[in-house]
Amino acid sequence: MPNPELRGRAGASVLSFFLLLLLLAAVPSEAADTVTIDVGAVYASNEGTSIDPALGKIRGKLRSMFNYTSYRMLDRKRRSLSVGETGEFELPDRRSMRATPLPARGDKVRLSIRLSEGPRNLLTTTLGLRRGGMVLVGGPPHQAGVLILIISAE
Amino acid sequence: MDCGTALGKINAKADGLLPRQEEAELADHLAGCPACAADDAAISATGPVLRALTGIRAMRNAPALDAMWTRVRAGIDEGRDTRRRSSWLARWSWIPAAVVIALLALVFSPSRTDRPPFHPSSFEVAVEDVESDTATVALVDKGEDLPTVIWIIEDAKS
Repeated sequence: MPNPELRGRAGASVLSFFLLLLLLAAVPSEAADTVTIDVGAVYASNEGTSIDPALGKIRGKLRSMFNYTSYRMLDRKRRSLSVGETGEFELPDRRSMRATPLPARGDKVRLSIRLSEGPRNLLTTTLGLRRGGMVLVGGPPHQAGVLILIISAE
Repeated sequence: MDCGTALGKINAKADGLLPRQEEAELADHLAGCPACAADDAAISATGPVLRALTGIRAMRNAPALDAMWTRVRAGIDEGRDTRRRSSWLARWSWIPAAVVIALLALVFSPSRTDRPPFHPSSFEVAVEDVESDTATVALVDKGEDLPTVIWIIEDAKS
C-alpha cells in the first residue's frame, strides 16, 4: 500500500516543477537588440573617508579622478530597453534621467541620455559605448557634495 | 584438608576456577574420603546434565524461533525498503523548491544597491554630442584606463 507521506512529497515535487515552468514562461527573454542600462547614483563628498564596497572595481578610479574623500552609493537602477524605447530612471533630489538606446553595430551601444531636474534640462547627450562599457556623469549638487552617476550598458 | 574445605574446592573445580596445584591437593583428599568423592562425582555431573537439558529445550523451540526470526527479518527488510524510497525522495524533492525560490528572488528582487559591484569591461566612450540649457558642461577624458566624465557645472556650484 503506497505511503501517504511519500505521495505527498512526490506531489509537492511535481507542483514545484510546474511552478518553475510557469515562472520560466513568465520571465521575458532578452532579445539581441535589447540594451540593459545600469545607473548608479553615488554621493561624493568630503564628509568622512569611506568608500562604498558596492562600487567595486571603480572605487580606485573615482579616488584617482576626483578630490572627494567619501563615495556612497545612494541608489542603483537597472532596466532592459529595446532600441528606440525610452526608460526613465528616478534620481535623488527630484532629478531624473531618460535613456533611449539607438541603433548601433557590432558590440557597440549608442544611448541618447537626457538628465533633468524638474522642468530644467541639465544635460542632453548621445554616447557610443562598447557593451559592458561605462561613463560617468557628475556635478549636480547633493547635500554637502555632488552626485555622480555611473552609467553602464550591456 | 578437611571436608568443608574440600567441598569448596569441589564447587570451584566444577566452575573451572580451581588452580591446578589445588586440584592435585583435592585429588589426594578425594582418594581418601569416599563421602567427598561422592559429592565431587555428583557436582561434576550437574554441568553436563544442565547443558543437555538446555540443548533439548532449544531443539524443541527451534521451529518457533525460526519462524519468529523470519518475521523479524521480513519486517527489517520492509522498513529498509521504505526508508530507501523515502530518503531518495527527501534527497531530491528540495531541488525544484529551491529553484523556484531562487527564481522568485531573482524576479522580485528590489532593483536598488544589492546587485554585484560595478565591473566595467571598457571605458571607451564616444561622446557624439553634449549640451545643456542651464549649465556648463565639461568633458573629461583621461585615457582608456579611466572612465570618461561628463561634468555638469550649475551656476558655479560644483
